[in-house]
Parts: sequence; structure tokens; C-alpha cells
Amino acid sequence: MIQLFNVTKRYSSDSLALKDLTLQIDKGEFVYVTGASGAGKTTFLRLLYAAEKPTRGQILIDNKNISRFRSHQIPFLRRKIGVVFQDFKLLQSRTVYENVAFALEAQGKKRYEVSKKVYQALKEVGLEHRLQRRPVELSGGEQQRIAIARALVVDPLILLADEPSGNLDQEVTLDIMELFKRANARGTTVLLATHDHSLHRRFPRRVLTLDKGKLIGDQQP
Amino acid sequence: MLERIRYFIVRALRNMRQWPLLCTASILTMAVALATVATFFLVVVNIEQLAERWTNEIQVIAYLQDVPKQQDLPGLIKELKNYPEVEQVTYVSQAKAMKRFSERLGNDADLLEGVRSDLLPASFELGLKPEFRTTDGIAGVLEKLESSLAVEDLRYGQEWLDRFNNFIGMLRFVGALLGAFLLLAALFIVSNTIKLTLYARRDELEIMALVGATMRFIKVPFLLEGAIQGFIGGVISLLFLSVFFTLVVSRYLGTFWLTPADFNLVFLTLWQQFGLVLAGVVLGALGSFSSLRRFVKI
Repeated sequence: MIQLFNVTKRYSSDSLALKDLTLQIDKGEFVYVTGASGAGKTTFLRLLYAAEKPTRGQILIDNKNISRFRSHQIPFLRRKIGVVFQDFKLLQSRTVYENVAFALEAQGKKRYEVSKKVYQALKEVGLEHRLQRRPVELSGGEQQRIAIARALVVDPLILLADEPSGNLDQEVTLDIMELFKRANARGTTVLLATHDHSLHRRFPRRVLTLDKGKLIGDQQP
Repeated sequence: MLERIRYFIVRALRNMRQWPLLCTASILTMAVALATVATFFLVVVNIEQLAERWTNEIQVIAYLQDVPKQQDLPGLIKELKNYPEVEQVTYVSQAKAMKRFSERLGNDADLLEGVRSDLLPASFELGLKPEFRTTDGIAGVLEKLESSLAVEDLRYGQEWLDRFNNFIGMLRFVGALLGAFLLLAALFIVSNTIKLTLYARRDELEIMALVGATMRFIKVPFLLEGAIQGFIGGVISLLFLSVFFTLVVSRYLGTFWLTPADFNLVFLTLWQQFGLVLAGVVLGALGSFSSLRRFVKI
């Protein structure tokens, strides 16, 4: 599903974000990406959804070399990838329904299909009764669940989560992890970047450890 | 396809509703910019229109060496009327010339007592068609006159015409220059206002790109929004101009202006009004387009 060959990312001559990364992640895997702040976790994820291009090396997703993608090809890659952020990245001026529908509308889905899928996705995260609320009226945990619903509503092949529980308390974090596990059980490949070691102790999965841009550990549970 | 177009329009309108302040700022900026350009255009057009009227006075006077015989006059007048440049021909006999001169002297007319009535030369006064009231048009008439009549002298207000031509040329040049400058300034201001509105909505643009929206999907609603705002701005500027023109300019200013009593100030024609609104649409879409290039990155 995801293959990296000698991937290096350098932002400037004295800023090396990732160095010579080679790894493979199979379809349906659940992988933690860990490391201290500045280890390169976010850059790693950004490379996977083509927000950045590698300075050197090749990245293959679903057998396509995305490092050679032109900008008009990138949206079609992103339709296969759901992304969840620590700061949720929700549109505050729009309702819960509109936030989730947005991802489907961007893909040109028909109206009746959009409403059906949005309802299902919100039901999946337990927020179907909050359709017409705006994000600002909801708690942090609820906002993150909307972000997850938005990422999952398009049935992605891959779900990338960058510190999704960074702003949430322990109890809400467990709820969120449950949602990731359910998505993974349905066949979605999940990559979760976190510096919270308690997560992989509680839910043991494969762990990739980065340090100063280098892959220093790849542990199976 | 239809659903997509409907979606784009709905989204453009919804965006405008969701950001009423930014939307109003863009519309008003465009309305002011368009009204400024249109006002300037109106000033230039009216000055030009007024100046064109002065050319009504342009005529060529051919003073004759010999007084034509009475029976030759109709033939001569007919020949002159056949010139393509000539609109009307008036024959001024020696007696008529003297009468005019005497009238012009008014109370001093008795100075002419004892002066022979054949002192002044007979002449033809040629009024020209509007399209030939130019240096070239006059040159054509002069050439024909000199070859067909025994002319003593020709008068045609050369100096005045040269000055007039220079004035019109300068008016058009300055008008085009200032107009282009105003348009560029309008585009710059509008583009920057839209840039500000897009800056406030950069999260939305970023999230759109994240969820796999294509460049077209992201840009079209913003371009439409710009065009709709431009349309509204254009209509507002047109309404403002027509109200201002009807209530203030033509009613009050017209009486102070150095214009002939029968001169009516000119307003935009229907096509020009349509052009103003269309300019708003183009300005809005262009402003959005140039700003989007900076903010939308996939």
C-alpha cells in the first residue's frame, strides 16, 4: 500500500526533516509513527498526502509513484486518503453536516449520496444528533470526531492522523482510538503520528520510531 | 453538469452570506472604483461633446477677385454644393457684405458714408459637413476652390482649428492615460480587497485542497463570487451615477457650466451602462483570479 525508498526531505541546506527513509506499510495495517517533537513525524505524513515533495527518493502509494505527481493529479490521490489533525481543521462558519459533506462535495458526489453518507459517517462517530450545530458549539472531543467523520466519509484507503489526541483528555482519546480501530477493522490502513507512548502500550500495533529525521526503530507488537 | 453549476452558484451565494462584512467591503470597493472611472468617462465625453459643437462654426470663406454675373450664380452655387465636404453654400454679394459691415459698426455706421458699396469683395461662405470639419477636410475644399474659382483670399480659421485639434487630441490622450490609470488602480484595489477576504478564508481553501478538491472546484465558486460581487458593484455604481446625474449634475451644475443654453449634458448610453456592469463582472472575476493564484496551492 505505502512504500518509501530512500526518502529524504530537506527544507533548506541546514534543515534536514527526513533522512534516507525506506519502509513498507501493507494494506490494512495500523501503524504508529512516534518520536519526539521535531523528529519528522508531521513531515512524514505530509509527504504521504503530497503536501510536500521529497527532496530525494521515491514514494509509492497504491503502486503509484506520487513523488512524480503533477499538481493536477494530487487531488485524486487525496481522495483516497483521509487526514486528521491535532487542531481539527474544521470550518467554523459551517455546520457539522456541511463540514463532513464538504469532503464528498469536493469529489463531485451527488446530493442524495452526500446526505446519506454524511448521516452514516456522523452516526459512526456518534454525532448524528448534532448535524446543524457549528463546531464552536461543540467540545474538543466532539470536534475531533467530526474531523474523523470527514476523513472517513469518503471511504479512504489510508487514514493519516497527526497527533489526533494532542488536545484531548485521556477518556476522549480512548473514544477516538476506538474509531480508528473500527476504521482499521473495515480495511483502512491507519497511520497515527503521536508522541504519546501510552497509546501504543494500551493498543499495541506496529511502531515506527523517528529521531532527527531518521528511522531508528520498526517494532511489531 | 447542471448539478455542478447549481452547486457552484449555491456555494458562491452561501459564501457571500457567511462573510457579509467582507462581501460588502468588496462590493463597495468595486462600486466606488467603477463609479470613479465612469464619472471620469462622463466628464471626458461631455467636454468632447461640447467641443464638437464649436466646430459647427467652422466654415470656409472664399473672397472672389471678380463679382460673378447674376446668371452664373446658380451654376456656381450648384457646383460648390456638389463638393462632398460642403453642407451649405451662401453667396454674400458686395452690397450684402457692406450691409453686414455697417450693421457691425452699429452707431459708428455713419463712418461709411461716402464709401463705395463695391469696396468689399463678394464671397462664398461654405458650411462643412461634420465629418469634414477637420484640417484635412478643409484642405480638400481649399484645393478644389483654388482650382475652380478666381479667388482673392481664403479664410477658414486655420489657427483656431489647429488649436481645437490639439485640444481634442490632448483631451483624448489625457483621458485615455488617466482612464487606464484609474482602471489599473481600481483593479489593484479590488484585487487587494479580495486578497484580504481570501486571506480571512485561507483555512477553507487549505481544507478544500486537503479533502481532494481540484483546482477548478476550489476556484470556480470564488471566481463566481467575485463576478457576482462585481455585478452588484456595477449596478450600485450605475444607480449612484444616474441618481447623482439626474438630481445634481443636470439640474444644478448644468446651469453653472459654461455651456450653451440648448446643450444637454450627456449620460451613459444603454450600451455603456451595460458595459459598466459588465466591467464590474470582469473586474470582480479578474480580482478573484489574480488573488486566488496566490492563495490556492495544492
